[in-house]
Amino acid sequence: MSGIAFTLNGGAAMLRGAPGRRLADALRDELGLTGTKIGCNAGDCGACTVLLDGVQVCACLLPAARVAGCRVTTVEGLAQDGALAPLQAAFLRHGAAQCGICTPGMLMAAADLLARNAAPDEAAVQDALGGVLCRCTGYRMIIAAVLDVARTAQPDMPAAGRAVGAAIARRDGVAKLTGAEAFGADAAPPEGCLALRAIRSPHAHARFQIGDCAPLLAAHPGLLRVLTAADLPGGNLYGIYPEGKDQKVLAEAHVRHRGEPVCALLGEAETLAAIRDEDVPIVWEVLPPVTFARAQAAEAVQLHAHAPENILCRGRVARGDAAAALASATVRASIAIETGFVEHAYIEPEAGFAVRVGAPGSERIEITACTQTPYMDRDEIAQLLGLAPSQVRIIPTAVGGGFGGKLDLSVQPLLAAAAWLTGRPVRWVYSRPESMAATTKRHPARIQAAAAADGEGRLTGFRCHGDFNTGAYASWGPTVANRVPVHAMGPYRVPDVLCTSAAIHTNDPPAGAFRGFGVPQAALAGEALMDMLAAQLGLDPLEFRARNALGVGDTTGSGQVLGAGAALPACLDALRPRWAALRGAAAAFNAEASGSLRQGVGIACMWYGIGNTSLPNPSTMVMGIDHAARPILFSGAVDIGQGSNTIMGQIAADALGVPVAALHLVTGDTDRTRDAGKTSASRQTFVSGNAARLAGEALRGEILRRANAGPHARIALEAGVLCVSEAGRTIKLDLASMPADGEGLVLRGEGRFDPPTTPLDADGQGIPYASYAFAAQIAVVEVDLDLGTTRVLRIVAAHDVGRAINPQLVEGQIHGGIAQGLGLALMEEFIPGRTENLHDYLIPTIGDIPPIETILIEEADPLGPYGAKGVGEPALIATAPAIFNAIAHATGIRLTRAPATPDRLRAALLAAR
Amino acid sequence: MNRFDYARPATIAEAVALAAEPGATYLAGGTNLLDLMKGDLVRPARLVDVTHIPGLDAIEPLADGGVRIGALVRNADLAHDADFARRFPAIAEALLAGASAQLRNAATAGGNLLQRTRCAYFYDAASACNKRTPGAGCDARGGETRMQAVLGWSEHCIATHPSDFCVPLVAFDAIVEIEGPKGRRECPLEHFHRLPGDTPERESDLAPGEMITAVRLPGAAAQFAGHARYLKVRDRTSYAFAIVSAAAALRLDGETIVEARLALGSVAAKPWRAHAAEALLAGAQANEANFRRAAEAALAEARPAGANGYKIELARRVVRRAFILAHAGTPARIQALPASPFATGALRHV
Repeated sequence: MSGIAFTLNGGAAMLRGAPGRRLADALRDELGLTGTKIGCNAGDCGACTVLLDGVQVCACLLPAARVAGCRVTTVEGLAQDGALAPLQAAFLRHGAAQCGICTPGMLMAAADLLARNAAPDEAAVQDALGGVLCRCTGYRMIIAAVLDVARTAQPDMPAAGRAVGAAIARRDGVAKLTGAEAFGADAAPPEGCLALRAIRSPHAHARFQIGDCAPLLAAHPGLLRVLTAADLPGGNLYGIYPEGKDQKVLAEAHVRHRGEPVCALLGEAETLAAIRDEDVPIVWEVLPPVTFARAQAAEAVQLHAHAPENILCRGRVARGDAAAALASATVRASIAIETGFVEHAYIEPEAGFAVRVGAPGSERIEITACTQTPYMDRDEIAQLLGLAPSQVRIIPTAVGGGFGGKLDLSVQPLLAAAAWLTGRPVRWVYSRPESMAATTKRHPARIQAAAAADGEGRLTGFRCHGDFNTGAYASWGPTVANRVPVHAMGPYRVPDVLCTSAAIHTNDPPAGAFRGFGVPQAALAGEALMDMLAAQLGLDPLEFRARNALGVGDTTGSGQVLGAGAALPACLDALRPRWAALRGAAAAFNAEASGSLRQGVGIACMWYGIGNTSLPNPSTMVMGIDHAARPILFSGAVDIGQGSNTIMGQIAADALGVPVAALHLVTGDTDRTRDAGKTSASRQTFVSGNAARLAGEALRGEILRRANAGPHARIALEAGVLCVSEAGRTIKLDLASMPADGEGLVLRGEGRFDPPTTPLDADGQGIPYASYAFAAQIAVVEVDLDLGTTRVLRIVAAHDVGRAINPQLVEGQIHGGIAQGLGLALMEEFIPGRTENLHDYLIPTIGDIPPIETILIEEADPLGPYGAKGVGEPALIATAPAIFNAIAHATGIRLTRAPATPDRLRAALLAAR
Repeated sequence: MNRFDYARPATIAEAVALAAEPGATYLAGGTNLLDLMKGDLVRPARLVDVTHIPGLDAIEPLADGGVRIGALVRNADLAHDADFARRFPAIAEALLAGASAQLRNAATAGGNLLQRTRCAYFYDAASACNKRTPGAGCDARGGETRMQAVLGWSEHCIATHPSDFCVPLVAFDAIVEIEGPKGRRECPLEHFHRLPGDTPERESDLAPGEMITAVRLPGAAAQFAGHARYLKVRDRTSYAFAIVSAAAALRLDGETIVEARLALGSVAAKPWRAHAAEALLAGAQANEANFRRAAEAALAEARPAGANGYKIELARRVVRRAFILAHAGTPARIQALPASPFATGALRHV
């Protein structure tokens, strides 16, 4: 066959590869058009949506031969002559792209719709875009963008000193909208890249032996070698906590979860794809798995020598005498809640490549991959390869969603080992099932909790124990075990508390970090109790919470006195009018309801400590001016879609006193930036934002010192000249005469911030966090009593954010968190081996997310940069409990198992009858 | 994925000849097959791409008032064909309730009939599955059974057929037109899919090398147009396979039911026609009590295949609801969230 001729983005194009290969692969690999993303390769996520003769199709399910003679339009074909199409401009204006991995698919689906219907309504948008999954945005801003294509004016960029508080478009937005942004699988690897493929355990628990691979190698000339545990030069063990590394890059004789890698094939991509798992000589001895239900039973084997009774670790917060408070209370309530695994389901599977560089004797390894934590990756890879950290360079790509799941190593160790051993570049892209089977999840939880109040509706005691299924390996299990007891009683004044937790090993996939570190699970229990107590006292659920809400000067269960900025009372005040109106509307609906539909309105509060729990977590930033008078921020903070690149720029620009549009940004390259910690624990705005502010202020101080100017002088950077003006006097600094440092900077400032915390004692007393974010959310649901189905009709979310550095990005975080909370409440449950794809594992689609009203409460946190706190995790935590409370309001049923699938709700309704 | 040979015949005869070789498989929309190939669950030696055969993508009215749907008519084109949607609204509703816009733009009528089960054990190469490897056993038995069959299953297989489209088709007596090495034949859709018995690997009536060329609906099907609905319960509002679905249709004389049609989806290895329920409603009054009796009759033979007993009662309720909706009358146009229980009234946002 001479080739497949077709029209691509208006021009003639030709494909010469195999006719049966998928169009998505052909576009990306053969034509280099990586704007078309591959999220699942199964038609489930829609990231690969292109237009075929004008209608949207999944390029991953289209044999390349099918496009012969057809017109294909990809995201690269939308912008004309370098100008964004109106649809793209609307996405930018509305903040409709966060991480950007689904954005090309969304744009193409919307382009199809708009070509047929220039003025669609919301339902038409939901219908047309229903096949593209987004895990970041909560879809509402996407809907708003598609409905607002007609308007074209983009808002002006703010002047110097006005960036903080401005809803400017994200600085990486255009790249995400044109398909130019390079994610893990897009970053161009060097020529001659080898491919990797892990062979993973199909069993939850087994012993194994790898036989003689020589016949396999002989049968497949394109297979270069089979990597095993012995091939890791520096050792095979890794893990989050330095003292608790328990996970093996490649298993040694024993696997503890399905999906654990036992060996890896290295060679030509086509060869690897043709080898079947069963061709690899592995002999399995299947062992009975340790389950969460039976992990501490007498017959359960101990999975790790350091974890007797399979308990990895415990957490505890104790203050006063909770038992006595509960015994003597006027009203008491108790509940037991269970939740399952929740998968991060970022649309970008893990991907990257590694290259061995440098002359003999000074060789280094460079890893280009998606990650949330480049500096931890660097140190871990150095150890696994037996190198010094300075011999490892991590270059993070754009990250197509993380949510905690890209804090753990994935492709990096084997890529690094393979490249180091062979001296050839090696590339690896996880398949969707591999990403879902092998990477961390949200911890399943069993939580028992009880709370008590006095006759005036004041909480008197709270007791809670949570068992968390941490799976086969520790990962972030200790973080969950420590964080949950601090937060479990909720954002309330409770004099007597006893909150304990245990992280328990099983033969399930490792549970790790996922937006909230166990707090969302615990909040399901605590917020149910608040409703139950309020009901017993005849108090309104909002008023009961308001009576007990933590505020400035109150003492937490950890004995910490809250300072300025603790604004839960203001959140509840803001919700009060909506609460009354929505409750009234639901009551009116139910009074007239003749069929099986009932509405319910629920509320939940949350609090969340920003940053690591009682551990140092500093960030360092550098800001400088180069010879061309360009202000440059060197930021090691990884933007995983939440917008830290934009936020850091806004903060740094105002700190220096220059327009944010003038700022240049160098991000996330361990050779060029300083350690800004990990993108985790909602810490980047608060911690790294402070570092950016301090760096900007230090640079400003340096400039003013050189100009001998006072603190209020104006700094201007124009046409390569740095001017400082004050009281009619302007001083030009002669940058050309200044020596540049290794980074090309002639003037520089450095900022470092580490939130002030103290260690927790054995009773969990101390200062675990320097700052807390608070929120309260209302959910309105409609339940079909007959069928057990639940639909969320509206969310109203009031969030204490300290200061919204960028209100649009803050709102985007809240929307996205709410969508994930809705998924947790209603549909998401990962079952190992059974839901390792995006049609059996369901995340909310554009049709599932109701209108969201966000109310930002801005009471400055004195420690935050310009008063700001984090919002990433706080966005999610209150949603699921608010939905569960709304279901209880609609039905009288107090659900104790998440998600509330129709079968579970029906069973609960039947049981209550 | 295995290496395979790719052929693009221009005629049905050519296609049938190409597909006669062992290991050959027809490829149409590819929305299921390519996924199965990627997972190495099917390993065709040859793909016979039938999409360039002219004449298979027509929607043709028939003299009796019925319609002939070419095997290559795409789901979206059929659902959006105004005349088709007007005369067979429950089928259009089912089509729009299935998959996503992208898949509906690629998936074909013929391919829809031949889509494989979504049983997770079938898709997991590490699990025993009699469909994949006859005689291997069925790990779904005693496993995760929430989505599995409650009707017509056997100890050898408890998987369901995932199609939405087939549910109203079977209710309306659709006929499958087939061409193969032995010539042309046809088969009622009701007998096209097979129950698992002890040969769950045999999913349809098609013999090796045979291809579907069209699906025909008799004119009688259009007589239900005023009272025909499809209702689908799923775990999210759009783009999810059904937990349970039902196509219900009535021919009414005043409030007396002249004829009823009922089929259920996602309850068995085939779209499940409920003749007993239909017979019970014929001549009966159109009221909730009778719909309830019909629902009982439709599920009389149902039994749980594990922890999925809830589907039986849910199916009864879906049947009852579908008949209530059908009785109320087919809406003038298909609403947002097609076939959703929440779209039965206007979509509400408060």
